[in-house]
Amino acid sequence: MPVVHGYLPADPGLQPERTNLAWGRTTLAIGVVSLLFLRWIPDYGGFPLVLIGFSLLTAGGMNLHQRRRYRHSDLGIRQEQIQADVVVVMIIGGAVGLLAILGLYAILFLPVQ
Amino acid sequence: MTPHTESSRDHHRGERLVAESTGAPTPVVQTSRGRLSARALGGGTEPDPRFTLANERTFLAWIRTALALLAGGIAVEAFTADVFGPELRKTVAILLLVLSLAIAGGACFRWLNVERAMRRKEPLPLPLLVPVLALGGALISAVFVVFVLIRGS
Repeated sequence: MPVVHGYLPADPGLQPERTNLAWGRTTLAIGVVSLLFLRWIPDYGGFPLVLIGFSLLTAGGMNLHQRRRYRHSDLGIRQEQIQADVVVVMIIGGAVGLLAILGLYAILFLPVQ
Repeated sequence: MTPHTESSRDHHRGERLVAESTGAPTPVVQTSRGRLSARALGGGTEPDPRFTLANERTFLAWIRTALALLAGGIAVEAFTADVFGPELRKTVAILLLVLSLAIAGGACFRWLNVERAMRRKEPLPLPLLVPVLALGGALISAVFVVFVLIRGS
């Protein structure tokens, strides 16, 4: 009998894997935003460093969450039950919203150097 | 009934297995965060886990749209000093950031409303975010067009 290498996913549609990749893409997008804030340093001084720090903190938190979430998603598919995580969704949405608000604050109220 | 095998790391994080002795087919992991989620989601029954994951991916796609708008606002402010005057640059950057804020906030409510509808087996709500994004994009484009026309004349 031939030996088959690989693993048997819980879902043939690979839903946990696709969701994990979506989290990864979003983490990368936040990383790109944090790099763009570097270009604000000549104009707005040290304030963009706060934005960069906050972006990287959010990206790091998302990266940690997605690893744990992937394990839970796979288990959840096997059990036919996944608990929707309201708190994490609100934190991510709030973090992106806060970045936009802080960006608006910089443009509207900080003097250009 | 045999509880599922969850790693001991999760127990160290404060999670505990809840096994109802009266007959739930499989025990679920119940956390303090899980209880908060359950309160926000309201009643109803757990939907197909694939739908929950699909809703999560849609939420993340909206968040990436908000991040793209945020990046656009940052880039307009940072890179176009030689091309546009300060007023236009500021106006477009502000519009992009406000639109990003609206999309990020709307994505959270959209995710919550869809999750609630699925739990109650109701029709999914229409996405209000779509016209917001379309009108916002059209407004920003119109600002650019007007600027180019005025500058060209």
